[in-house]
Amino acid sequence: MYLSVAPTSGVPIYRQLVEQIRAQAAGGRLEAGEFLPSVRQVAERLAVNPMTVSKAYSILERVQVVELVRGQGMRLLPPGSAANGKARQQAIQPLLQEVAAKARQLSLSPEQVLTLLRPMLKENEHE
Amino acid sequence: MNESPTTENSPLRLARLDKSYRKKKVLDKLDLNIAIGSVVGLLGKNGAGKTTLIKCALGLMRPDSGEATIFGKSAWTLDAETKARLGYVPQSVSLYSWMRIGQLVDYTAAFYPKWNAALVGDLLRDWELKADDKAGNLSVGTQQKLAIILAMGHEPDLLVLDEPAASLDPIARRQFLKAVLAVASDQTRTVVFSTHITSDLERVADRLALLRDGRIVYDGELDELKDSVKRWHVTAAGALPADLDVPGAVHRRIEGAEALLTVRGGTQESREEIERRYSASVRVEDLSLEDLFLELHEEEVQHAETR
Repeated sequence: MYLSVAPTSGVPIYRQLVEQIRAQAAGGRLEAGEFLPSVRQVAERLAVNPMTVSKAYSILERVQVVELVRGQGMRLLPPGSAANGKARQQAIQPLLQEVAAKARQLSLSPEQVLTLLRPMLKENEHE
Repeated sequence: MNESPTTENSPLRLARLDKSYRKKKVLDKLDLNIAIGSVVGLLGKNGAGKTTLIKCALGLMRPDSGEATIFGKSAWTLDAETKARLGYVPQSVSLYSWMRIGQLVDYTAAFYPKWNAALVGDLLRDWELKADDKAGNLSVGTQQKLAIILAMGHEPDLLVLDEPAASLDPIARRQFLKAVLAVASDQTRTVVFSTHITSDLERVADRLALLRDGRIVYDGELDELKDSVKRWHVTAAGALPADLDVPGAVHRRIEGAEALLTVRGGTQESREEIERRYSASVRVEDLSLEDLFLELHEEEVQHAETR
């Protein structure tokens, strides 16, 4: 699993980890049934506080991206479950907020923005 | 996550600590209570009193009044048993310059009933220190590395470091951070380090103690601070009022149709309120610890002006 953190970015490190794992799970780069590396492994590799990693893991557990398997660690749940769908929506929320803010600055109407966005979404479907 | 520390289990507790040099007040009824298993970054600008705080906390300097306790024992009259649970790296390291590194290690080990020779050996190797080198010939950075290793050999329950990374190069700093994390990973040992290098603190500290004007003005989780304090960039259709206010605003800069607001605990409602009332867009920016540090100092300036 590829993870990287930018300690000075302003986004708390635990949230960076949650977002990255969420995105990889939602995007299929991590497969259901796969185990996340242990808290200690991640903390050591990234040189971050282990409490930060366990905080990220417990959030992922709460939003049902992973489940805790006693004695084995965190196992990825199958994507597409209701909770996971919500997780994916949440992941794109900040980007959409930025688009909305920019649209208002440029005085673009919601219809205009959607007209621009729709073909882009379709393009992705064909990939 | 941390249990609230009581006097008995708290590795370090400072209560109403006062310290002045001549007429200059350095510590002003300072309170700080550090929980077991945490990695606390003590942050403050130059001359804020970080070193004074640490020295008073460890019983190396006598406060004018107030009390410092380590594992429930008075720091000023600390017994040998409690001292053995303590590791300390001062800001300016002084080693016996005529000793070789290997001799210094043996000499230090002799003071402690338990000494993890394997750990020390690993660190010496990883940090590229040679047993035959004379301490007096080492660079400042290498001396600092050695002092850190010597302070970790007895696996202290409380490790206190005063500006440990100041003279370390980026590689050594990363190695140092990993060593600190190894100490922290069993969550029963406590690390306190002072610094003005905010990026180091952001990586390894789970708690932040911010020292300003002789007091601890923030003591809490670093993540909580980052989650709660944000900068709002407001762009409105027309000129914004000069007294534009938001609940929790720490700092405001308003120029024409644009405003920069630093907001603590800002809500989505108050953001939407601004967007509605001034047909504005509000972009929320996360702040790095360095930004937060500056903002929290500006807050004081602003309050002082309006007082």
